[in-house]
Amino acid sequence: MTRFHSSASDRRAPHNRAFNHHPRLWQCLTAIIVILAFLCFPVLHAQQPRPNEYQVKAAYLFNFGRFVKWPTAPTAGKDGSFMVCVLGQDPFGAILDSTLAGEDLDGKRVVTRRISKPQDAGTCRILFISSEEETHLKEILSALDEEGVLTVSDMPGFSRRGGMIQFFMDGNRIRFEINLASTQNARLTLSSELLKVAAAVRKSAGPGD
Amino acid sequence: MFKAKTHSISHKLTWMNMLVSGTALLLACAAFIGYDMVTFREAMVRNLSTQSQIIGSNTASALLFNDPQSAANTLSALTAAHDILCAAIYEPDGRLFSSYSRDPRRDSPPLTIAAGQTESHSFKNRDIVLVRPIVFQGKPTGIIYIRSDLEELDQRLRQYASIAGVVLLACLMAALLVSSVFRKAVAEPIVGLAEVARIVSHDKNYSIRATPAPRRDELAILIDAFNEMLAQIQENEAALRKAHDELEQRVQERTAELESAKGELEAFSVSILQAKEELERASKFKDQFLSTMSHELRTPLNAVLGFSDLLTEERYGSLNDRQQRYVAHIHTGGKHLLRLINDILDLSKIEAGRLQLAIESVPVRTSFAEVADAMRPLAEKKSHSLVVNASKELSVRADAVRFKQVLMNLIGNAIKFTPEGGTIELAGRQLGEVVRVEVRDSGPGIPPEEQQRIFEAFYRLNQTEKMVEGTGLGLAITKRLVELHGGHLGLESQQGSGSCFYFTLPSSPGFEAEKARTSGTALKTGETARILVVEDDLTAAHLLQSHLVAAGYGVVLCGQPERALEMAVDLQPSAVTMDIMMKPVNGWELLASLKSDSRTARIPVIMVTVVDQPATGSLLGADEYIVKPVEKTTLLAAVQRCLNLRGRIAPARPILVVEDDVSTREFIAELLSKQGYVVSVAPDGPAARSQVATSLPELVILDLILPEVSGFQLLAEWRSDPRTAELPVFVLTSKDLTPKEREYIRANTGALFQKHERWQQALIRQLQRAVPPVPTEKS
Repeated sequence: MTRFHSSASDRRAPHNRAFNHHPRLWQCLTAIIVILAFLCFPVLHAQQPRPNEYQVKAAYLFNFGRFVKWPTAPTAGKDGSFMVCVLGQDPFGAILDSTLAGEDLDGKRVVTRRISKPQDAGTCRILFISSEEETHLKEILSALDEEGVLTVSDMPGFSRRGGMIQFFMDGNRIRFEINLASTQNARLTLSSELLKVAAAVRKSAGPGD
Repeated sequence: MFKAKTHSISHKLTWMNMLVSGTALLLACAAFIGYDMVTFREAMVRNLSTQSQIIGSNTASALLFNDPQSAANTLSALTAAHDILCAAIYEPDGRLFSSYSRDPRRDSPPLTIAAGQTESHSFKNRDIVLVRPIVFQGKPTGIIYIRSDLEELDQRLRQYASIAGVVLLACLMAALLVSSVFRKAVAEPIVGLAEVARIVSHDKNYSIRATPAPRRDELAILIDAFNEMLAQIQENEAALRKAHDELEQRVQERTAELESAKGELEAFSVSILQAKEELERASKFKDQFLSTMSHELRTPLNAVLGFSDLLTEERYGSLNDRQQRYVAHIHTGGKHLLRLINDILDLSKIEAGRLQLAIESVPVRTSFAEVADAMRPLAEKKSHSLVVNASKELSVRADAVRFKQVLMNLIGNAIKFTPEGGTIELAGRQLGEVVRVEVRDSGPGIPPEEQQRIFEAFYRLNQTEKMVEGTGLGLAITKRLVELHGGHLGLESQQGSGSCFYFTLPSSPGFEAEKARTSGTALKTGETARILVVEDDLTAAHLLQSHLVAAGYGVVLCGQPERALEMAVDLQPSAVTMDIMMKPVNGWELLASLKSDSRTARIPVIMVTVVDQPATGSLLGADEYIVKPVEKTTLLAAVQRCLNLRGRIAPARPILVVEDDVSTREFIAELLSKQGYVVSVAPDGPAARSQVATSLPELVILDLILPEVSGFQLLAEWRSDPRTAELPVFVLTSKDLTPKEREYIRANTGALFQKHERWQQALIRQLQRAVPPVPTEKS
């Protein structure tokens, strides 16, 4: 009996080896294909235009909207849209519009708006304050107090001065810091995820206070 | 062999049990483990998916805000999960965003991944690879790649395997236990049964039984059936043995029977042989008896007939009417007796196949005439008319004597059975190759039912009106005689219109010599005193015959001298007459041969011749010599002298017959006289006494019972007297003798004859021995 078994297994062995050979062949082929794909990738990558600063910042504006929870907003636009406003000189140009076109936030259609006075910002949810308005910042921020507007700017010292989110460049990377006190004052709830990716989170009020 | 088998059965049971339970358990374990593995793997996949989802949602912000460090932080939490080999976050376009490896030297996630992934998992090289898109608020934000090893699965599998092994082992032990119980319940009875079967088949011992099983199950039924079968076999075997024994016994019995039957058969065949010998002897005795009887019966009868005939001739004195009648009665009775004896002897001879026919050509007409002449007196006594009708040239091939015997029988019957005044017709005619002879009468006819039976021996027609004398043998003999001749005897008869007996005989073409016929005819006569006439001249022979026949002698003619000696030996005639001038043998030669042959030496010979040489005749031993021409008286005187010469005894002293019964005395006297002795008689004791006293006899034949003085007395007297002490005495008596008397007689007499026995011949023999007859003397 044993002899028969062993002989049977002996006979099966070549088949097993044959089956084992084929997967290895396919693995080799796959590896070659993957290497080819990697070789091609830089070419494709190079062809894509590198996004400029305000393209990224426009995307970030949108993304901030996704991590922030607004209080029930009486300040919602008349048409029920989600207003993203730019105060002062617009650095984005058309980029902002193209970036936000067709997007929804908080269940509402995102609409861009350019305002010149802080008083106009009543219906805005996210307000990008141009660095040109650095001088009027105090007035602007105070005007927007308790309006429930997320303020974003790339002017230096913005968050220290009472602004909520401030962009800054960390090498090539665009990063931001958050003034949590300001957001809390504006009764905005920021997701911990947002806080996690922020370069710094300021929990005290501005030094000016 | 047997042990191995039983082992094999219990082993098989055990193996079966263990195999079944083991197989069932293995299958169950395999199914269970298989199912568990599948579900466990699914759970692993789900777990992985959940993990990826959590990581995904936790890295969404990092992706969105391009913070790989944050993602790396999140991913690094996977170090807690030991099975996660590596994980990576990719941007939506497939670029690597952040990665994690438990052991970077061994595992690392791919640098890029195809964009637009849906959630999928795959198993590669004992790893699970799960790819899942990261969706944040409904938007694809990135892709997560996570690879886990199956160590946990393997571990679980190992655990299961060990548990299954333990369970299997336990189960097999349990199965072993159960099977031991089964073996007790199932195998042991089977083993016992097998043992019994082995013993039965080996020892042919059908008396043992398998132990019955305690429980009622198929096994018990099997054992019961086996036991029952054994019982039946035992029974059958016993019956078979019994049958065998019986058969053997029967075979032995049969063998014994056969042997005894064989013995019986042998004994039977021996007895058959004996019977055959006895039959042959008896047949020989019968032949001897027949030849003896023909003489022994005929001789005394001839004496009776001769004496009675002599008496009627009144030669020794005249007889009165009564005497005449009585003698006639004696004669008739004697003749009837003679006929009867002759018939019986004839029939016996025919039946024994000893009758020899002298076939010759016989002229029918002559025979008819002779028979008619012989029968005519008888017919005339009853006023019958006897008509004979035959042509002259008709002749048959037959024994002439027998032919005439047949005719006489038939005519005699016709005469007897036809009422007075009838007609009897004897007719012969040629009928082709045969001659048909008819004897027709005008009698009452024979009823059909008797027509066949009348030919049987001793059958007599049932005639009531008158008893007809006859032997009852006539027709039987006749029929046989005819058949011996090659003919056929038949009967045509109608009641009331007579009968016609007919027979056929082969016809003969012509005549034979007359002398042959005459020589035949002569044979029938001459029992009283037969004279053989040797004469080749027919005329002379006939002359002599007529003289002698007229004188009452029986004559036998012999025309062939060469046969004369033979005939003389056969016939023992009283005398022979012969011619001298004969051919081929002459008279001298014949005379010499007759006298020199002891069987014929004492027969007197009378020479009848023209040759006048009496001296030569005397010299050659001829008793008489007559010179032709023969004178009748001379012839008869010579014959008489010869006969006297032969009968004459001339003793000096007579034989004394002491007998009180006259007839017996007379008969003895005649008997002795005939033998040539001189006889004197004494009717009583005193007469005998006085006769012996006066002249001493040659011998005394003494009756014991006598008036006045008894035979014993006489004997005693004679024996006491010296003169008569040696007197020969024969005792002839009808007395029943006591042994003492018998002894006395034997001592004092020469012979004892008792009358109720056949004493005559013995007496004569004894007498001839004691007293030889006196030799013949020439006159």
